[in-house]
Amino acid sequence: MPPLFRNLQVDEGLGHFSHYSSIIQRLEDFETIAVRPGGRVTLGIEDPNIIVGYCVGSYPDSTDRWAALGDLMYELAAVEVSRNYRGCKLGEKLLGMTMNDDFFEDKIAYMCGYSWHWDLEGKGMSAAQYRSMMKHLYGKFGFREVYTNEPNITLRAENIMMIRVGLRVTPEDQMKFRHLRFGMKPK
Amino acid sequence: MLKDYPKAIVTKDGDSVLLRPVTAQDEQELNKFFSEIPDNEQWFLREKLDDPHILSEFLRKLDYKRIIPIIAVRETDGKIIANLRLHLSSAPCIGHVAHLRVMVHPDFRSLKIGSWMILDCIKTSMDIGLEKLFAEFISGVEDSAIGAALKLDFRHEGTLKDYIRDSKGGYRDLIIMSRDIQTRWSDF
Repeated sequence: MPPLFRNLQVDEGLGHFSHYSSIIQRLEDFETIAVRPGGRVTLGIEDPNIIVGYCVGSYPDSTDRWAALGDLMYELAAVEVSRNYRGCKLGEKLLGMTMNDDFFEDKIAYMCGYSWHWDLEGKGMSAAQYRSMMKHLYGKFGFREVYTNEPNITLRAENIMMIRVGLRVTPEDQMKFRHLRFGMKPK
Repeated sequence: MLKDYPKAIVTKDGDSVLLRPVTAQDEQELNKFFSEIPDNEQWFLREKLDDPHILSEFLRKLDYKRIIPIIAVRETDGKIIANLRLHLSSAPCIGHVAHLRVMVHPDFRSLKIGSWMILDCIKTSMDIGLEKLFAEFISGVEDSAIGAALKLDFRHEGTLKDYIRDSKGGYRDLIIMSRDIQTRWSDF
């Protein structure tokens, strides 16, 4: 394991609970993402070595619909904060640090939010309220909701896909992405 | 909420369609839309928006706090191909519910435009904190819309028998459907 992760520990508030499991619970998962081409891992660390939050991103998996547009697409795969460290805008700071890069001006960055991954019990929120929270959080960094017929997104009405279109993304690429959102392959 | 618009969808025949709120500038295209609804369907309109004077008055008094009117506009030529209205209430006892009405131009049915508009309405309802959405459909006339609503997790609340009278004097049932908006973890 790279030295950067070796001595870290994951806070117990990022883990498996009765109605929710953190998307990432093991240090090895951070390493897997970090070594991918374009992989990004941003960590919130409580001194000296406890991971209390993270934001991870990478190019879409080759089996994903969005991979059809190659490296134009970049997924903000997850941003999560330990149950023990919520309420201090750590998620916003993690996302902000990740997005603070000119790299994204050549990309359509996207996130897919599925309500079955959301910690509704821990937050004491309905799925609709959690969805609004996500919209508000990602909206601060230029993301907006888009519609798609991608089956996982359409499975529940509260699920959400949000995108941020980089300043240098051409209108042609944007239209290709729009068609791809509805299952039409780019020509 | 309305700043999220326009929202783009693409139909199965490749047409790009934008969903957006109605503005006063849409009067001409809306007149055209309602005039192209067949007479037998216009009969069932609750608000006679096929009358240009009534439509003009409706647009003049547009208040998004009472009604959120969303149209589907074909991007290539600006043609309005569907219309949905979400009726809100300021009365505190029913401020948590809203009613939707939707109509799709006959030339653009079977393209899921209505389904996308209802889904858009559900998401808007979530975003503005509504708890329940109601829709009323006329049995034997709006069966496709009933099917679309069922697929979007609306459930049948009740039937008002012979509530609607058609243009030939026959009676039809009014189907009341509803959908809960705020899902909790216990619903999974």
